[in-house]
Amino acid sequence: MSVAAVHNEATIVGAEIAGGHDGTAEMVVSIQYENGVTGSVTLDADTGVSVMKACGAADLAALIGRPWREISKGL
Amino acid sequence: MYDILIRGGLVVDGSGAPGHLADVAVKDGRIAAVGANLPGEALQVIEAGGQVVAPGFIDPHTHFDVQLLWDGAARPALEHGITSIVPGNCSLSLAPLKAGDRAGLIGMFQQIEELPPEAFTQAFEWTWEDFAGYRAALEKSLSINVAPLVGHSVIRLWVMGADAQQRAARPDEIVAMQDLLRECLQAGAVGLSTSFVDVDEKARPVPSRFAQFDELDALCAVLGEFGRMLQIVPEFYDTDITIARIDQLAELSLKHGIPTTFSPVFDSHLTPQAAPRQLARVAEQFARGARVWPQMQTRPIDISFSLLRPSLFFARLPTWMRTLRLPLDERMAALKDPATADRLVTDAGPDGGARLMGDLIARGGDAIPPAFAGRTLGEIAAERGEVPARTLITLSVEHGLDVAFLAANRGHDRTDRIGPMLADPLVHIGASDGGAHIASFATYGDTGFLFSEYVRKAGVLTLEAAVKKITSDTAAIWGLKDRGSLTPGYAADIVVFDAATIGRGEERPVFDMPGDGMRYVRDSVGIDTVVVNGEVAWAKGEYSGSASGEICGIA
Repeated sequence: MSVAAVHNEATIVGAEIAGGHDGTAEMVVSIQYENGVTGSVTLDADTGVSVMKACGAADLAALIGRPWREISKGL
Repeated sequence: MYDILIRGGLVVDGSGAPGHLADVAVKDGRIAAVGANLPGEALQVIEAGGQVVAPGFIDPHTHFDVQLLWDGAARPALEHGITSIVPGNCSLSLAPLKAGDRAGLIGMFQQIEELPPEAFTQAFEWTWEDFAGYRAALEKSLSINVAPLVGHSVIRLWVMGADAQQRAARPDEIVAMQDLLRECLQAGAVGLSTSFVDVDEKARPVPSRFAQFDELDALCAVLGEFGRMLQIVPEFYDTDITIARIDQLAELSLKHGIPTTFSPVFDSHLTPQAAPRQLARVAEQFARGARVWPQMQTRPIDISFSLLRPSLFFARLPTWMRTLRLPLDERMAALKDPATADRLVTDAGPDGGARLMGDLIARGGDAIPPAFAGRTLGEIAAERGEVPARTLITLSVEHGLDVAFLAANRGHDRTDRIGPMLADPLVHIGASDGGAHIASFATYGDTGFLFSEYVRKAGVLTLEAAVKKITSDTAAIWGLKDRGSLTPGYAADIVVFDAATIGRGEERPVFDMPGDGMRYVRDSVGIDTVVVNGEVAWAKGEYSGSASGEICGIA
């Protein structure tokens, strides 16, 4: 059973940093949905910092396992 | 008597055919003849033995709109062998523009191009409002050829005023936009650009983002009258939305008989299916008869940052993220605090940040002493007897945090994956963004990098195929008349280069923008001579001052 299915909602299963089009560091967040499908969302630098701050994540690893609903409050 | 005779080079004519030793003769701005041992004399003879003679390269995605008004060579694009450029991308052009709307547009341009304010107030005189007037201002001193797009955002701004950035257009406003676009195309615009992602200096969506589909459809109907290009910036950060845009472009292409192009397409190991999925959809749409050209850049993406703003570069380091998220004065105080600095260094790893930060490059062009520019943090740290994390902090604090660092090759950097995509006949090599993001990274030298990385190093493209990609293919996609080929009768846009060395120089800061503004550039490597419309525009490291550039005609 997927992590998202256990939580019964879309859940962060990965977060990495990549170079963005404008030369800033961007965050690529992997989300697993309730049906087991995994997708990715790319957040620009400001949004990525805002998301981490909003959910009190000290680093990327702290995002993993959190519901996307909670993370998206920082969008 | 020819004007120029280029003798004994390996002629790679842009068709993709194998190169052959021949002479190229130029007369009255045109290719006069191509053949072995051409008889006749010339006013100027260029010995090209051991070098390649090719059509001038064409860059289909630039933002040189403003720079061209004081620098008709779009430096340093021309010295990289680029003889024709397409400005006006991403919904923004400098015309048509009413005088009262200039301030608003300047903010949008500054957001994308990062030009200093003096570029708009001191470097040129606004003499135009309509597109024909802008064209006339450009034509005064062009060394490079220009195929300008007209921006959807400025068309909206002209017709709707401030409402352009607030609402959808009414039917009468759409008709007015159609009339205005038609006028621009008649005045030489090669197409229309629009954007679904760009913002102005206040982070507000640019006007084109307020358009509904019926407006874009109506404007494409006008493009269809001329067979001209629609360029868009889709929501490239989301693959599914981008694919929906590809489908939308395909419908517009089929309905109105127009070519379309979108950019950028990036490859990333974090989203490895993104670019392949987009290209697969493009192939499906081409099979239906649509023309939807994806633009892919050759150069890798670098990350740059300073401690003036929190950067996600540190997102794996909790102490760093906490410290860098502090307000600026508190952040500076924390970085100066020895105990906090010690914690940051510890958090960077047992190697003092050598693995994470040792390869960072001090970029220069900021408050750091020039002697440090271009060197790695590891080198500077060793010289100072520190670990890299400590040096990153101390260097930044010593210079008011205004020290920029670059982490090279952090995206779109897998040659083994990108090479085959660039070689795909349906992939349009472009998206250089020349003249944009000038204070963040150098947008010059992508053509040199194509040869050094993908022809010489990876061997994924032949010399002839690479030349074809950035000459005749580009001219055909955009419908540029008589360009991109060394065919008698075509415009004499020619580049002579050394196939063994052509590349791009190291990125370096220069202060050559109006008001001594800074930008990053790369010098050309391996380029010998660049000819534009039959006149030598650049040779052996020197600009000639020629003014032979022109607005490109459309086939």
